[in-house]
Amino acid sequence: MMRCAACRELLNANLDNELMSEETADVRDHLAQCPDCARAYDELAATSHVLRESLVRHTAPDVLKARIRSALAESRTDATPDAHEPRRAIVSHQWLRLAAAGLVIAVASSVTTVGAVRERNASRSVRDEVLTSHVRSLMPGHLTDVASTNQHNVKPWFNGRVDLSPPVPGLDSAGFVLSGGRLDYVAGRVVAAVVYVRRQHVVNVFSWPDAGDDTRPSAVTAQGYHLVSWRSDGVAFWAVSDLNASEVAQFVTLFQHGGAEAKR
Amino acid sequence: MAAPHVERFDAVIMPHLDAAYTLACYLLRDEHDAQDVVQDAALRAFRYFDSYRDGDARAWFLAIVRNCCLTWQRRRRNDRLTVPLAPEHASAAQESRETDARAIEASDRAAINRAVADLPVEFREIIILREVQDMSYAQISTVVGVPIGTVMSRLSRARKRLASRLGTSQEAG
Repeated sequence: MMRCAACRELLNANLDNELMSEETADVRDHLAQCPDCARAYDELAATSHVLRESLVRHTAPDVLKARIRSALAESRTDATPDAHEPRRAIVSHQWLRLAAAGLVIAVASSVTTVGAVRERNASRSVRDEVLTSHVRSLMPGHLTDVASTNQHNVKPWFNGRVDLSPPVPGLDSAGFVLSGGRLDYVAGRVVAAVVYVRRQHVVNVFSWPDAGDDTRPSAVTAQGYHLVSWRSDGVAFWAVSDLNASEVAQFVTLFQHGGAEAKR
Repeated sequence: MAAPHVERFDAVIMPHLDAAYTLACYLLRDEHDAQDVVQDAALRAFRYFDSYRDGDARAWFLAIVRNCCLTWQRRRRNDRLTVPLAPEHASAAQESRETDARAIEASDRAAINRAVADLPVEFREIIILREVQDMSYAQISTVVGVPIGTVMSRLSRARKRLASRLGTSQEAG
């Protein structure tokens, strides 16, 4: 039969499921017969329970994630001048320094090259610009120019500010809450950015006029963000978020659907 | 160090950022410092990512975070020979007006967080790893770099201190 002293030594490990089954049985038997040890065990369990209930579980702020991802992208660009691409001259390497938030964002390096690669680089640089704009929007005070959860406030705000009327579907019921709108600058032009939030994760939808055939949504992942682009009725769309890929896909489907409804 | 490297880091390490940030907040007792240190730790982890073999990514990353926190504090202490800042987690207490019940609950929570914040760091870290991160003794031993027996005895002493301070022990009740 186990003694009190031996039992007391094992109480923590027993509570934490760290004992072998034999020891667990010994402790259990002792506790069943010894009120003092049983009380000590209950107190221990209560203390642990209170801690688990009360200690704060912090969520890493979006800005911290953005800072880390920018820094990672930066170290990658430093380390490898992209071995996969054919040779090209890097004309300028622009770093956009945003001292206010201590945030350094790598802007797509502008490249000169020939023929076939150009198209690819063009879309890639749009992607990088969209991503940069998204990250910048996460800094304090940069998210929206017009802050409203009401689509009937956000949509008219764009009138006369951009050369399209971006769809602003209400998607609250699906858990994507409209947060507002903003002007941004992508691919050499002013574009509309419509902002939604789900569980403190931001979704930016960028749009601008782009004559061309409709395209189906295509997804890429860069620096931990999911980007989906598509073209519809002469408008290019990019949706960006660090929500998981399936949530972003869900968002895009809803947005397209709601967007179509809103037009009619 | 090509793109897949970043992607793998993103998939393996970044999911533990909340755990890293929580640990840093408790160790440094300052959310701004915690952000700076976690960023530094993530970049270090990325640099040493080659040395990470498949295994417990959270424990591997938290060990780096912990080291960065301790280094940061040591440097702080050398900079100016004062103990840094009052615990920040007490802020919940200020919001406790709405109802009595909620006020009591909020102040209880604040008191508990304060009690943990006041623990010596070698107890505090083990409480956080066990009660917040729900790590096993073996995982805690990896993060902290001490034998499992030491984890057990520190955890026991830390809980005992907290019990007497929080009144969950019979002496206080």
